[in-house]
Amino acid sequence: MTTKRPQLPKSVLEMKFMRKTRERIEKELENTQGHDSLYSNIITNEMRHATGNFISESSFIFCEDLLEGRLSYKGMNPEIERLMEQDIKTSDPDGEMQKDVSDEILYKKMEALNKKRKSNDTPNKNPVLKKKKKF
Amino acid sequence: MKVTIDDVVLPGDFCEDIIKAGEKSRVILGPGLRKELEKIFITKAGVLRKRAPNTYWVDSYQKRYVPARGENVIGVVIQKAGDSFRVDVGGSCSATLSYLSFEGATKKNRPEVQVGDVIYAKMLVASKDMEPELVCVDSNGKKGRLGVLNDGFVFKCSINLVRKILNPSCPLLNSLKNEWPFELAAGMNGRIWIKANSMRETIAVGNAILGCEYLTSEEIKSMCTNIASILAGHVS
Repeated sequence: MTTKRPQLPKSVLEMKFMRKTRERIEKELENTQGHDSLYSNIITNEMRHATGNFISESSFIFCEDLLEGRLSYKGMNPEIERLMEQDIKTSDPDGEMQKDVSDEILYKKMEALNKKRKSNDTPNKNPVLKKKKKF
Repeated sequence: MKVTIDDVVLPGDFCEDIIKAGEKSRVILGPGLRKELEKIFITKAGVLRKRAPNTYWVDSYQKRYVPARGENVIGVVIQKAGDSFRVDVGGSCSATLSYLSFEGATKKNRPEVQVGDVIYAKMLVASKDMEPELVCVDSNGKKGRLGVLNDGFVFKCSINLVRKILNPSCPLLNSLKNEWPFELAAGMNGRIWIKANSMRETIAVGNAILGCEYLTSEEIKSMCTNIASILAGHVS
């Protein structure tokens, strides 16, 4: 037991009017200690050392990646089709997003930008140095 | 006998690969697997499957439904019993469905469900010792896809077939969905409810589903185009 309850001192418990409390505390102590011996024939060593790494699952739906079992196509049941669309949206929000800018254009633009930065960097160095001197 | 992943397995076989995986991280043991002492035993005949990262199960042929928590099933209301309905889902005993577990239902405002109605419901409780309990709402109190299925046609099939057509890699639904309007509810208890605009179309959907049980993906595709062309030829 890690949590310690406040206990009455022995001298107090020995007083005459504390007889009932003393008996109760003794009973509680007996109860907690008696558990191990009481169930010793039922609790096996295996139960004590059993680890929880294996989770049993009685259903296939958690094993296989199955579709939702209620489907509608070509407007047979608009309510179900709306739910199906919502599911597709929520299931892959970060799937293949449509590109506004193709990879090639991005590469060319970035290259041009980097060149600009490099050319900008050299004249920029001097004002930075000047600022440092001020401090 | 010692078996490995993707082997054909029989009850009583054991797999040491799963034990090794279990030493490092958590492992999910699906249907057909059971941990007994320090071994993982197979309890069903079938093929041992694995899905990354750590899910194992036995892919077996089965027609008898054993209720499991969280599955969506199709049931038939067989009795109104006070404040609940008794629903036949094909398990060892009938399931209960409280009349309060419908969207917007209150004690005064009872849902309109009659004996003989077909319902699509989710298993809320399914344990070995108690009768299963169904609900027709999700945790937010919304009905979503659950509820009474009106009209349409229900047929039974093996539980494997339901899993096969609901697998995203199965081409059946993808090849049928652009042909004609239809609606479908597949219960994990091996019952499928279908609805289309005409009887001919309904039968076509039903035959397509039942026909694909032992076909490969390519064969399913050709069967679907075949059915679609027959249907288009007769409906003038």
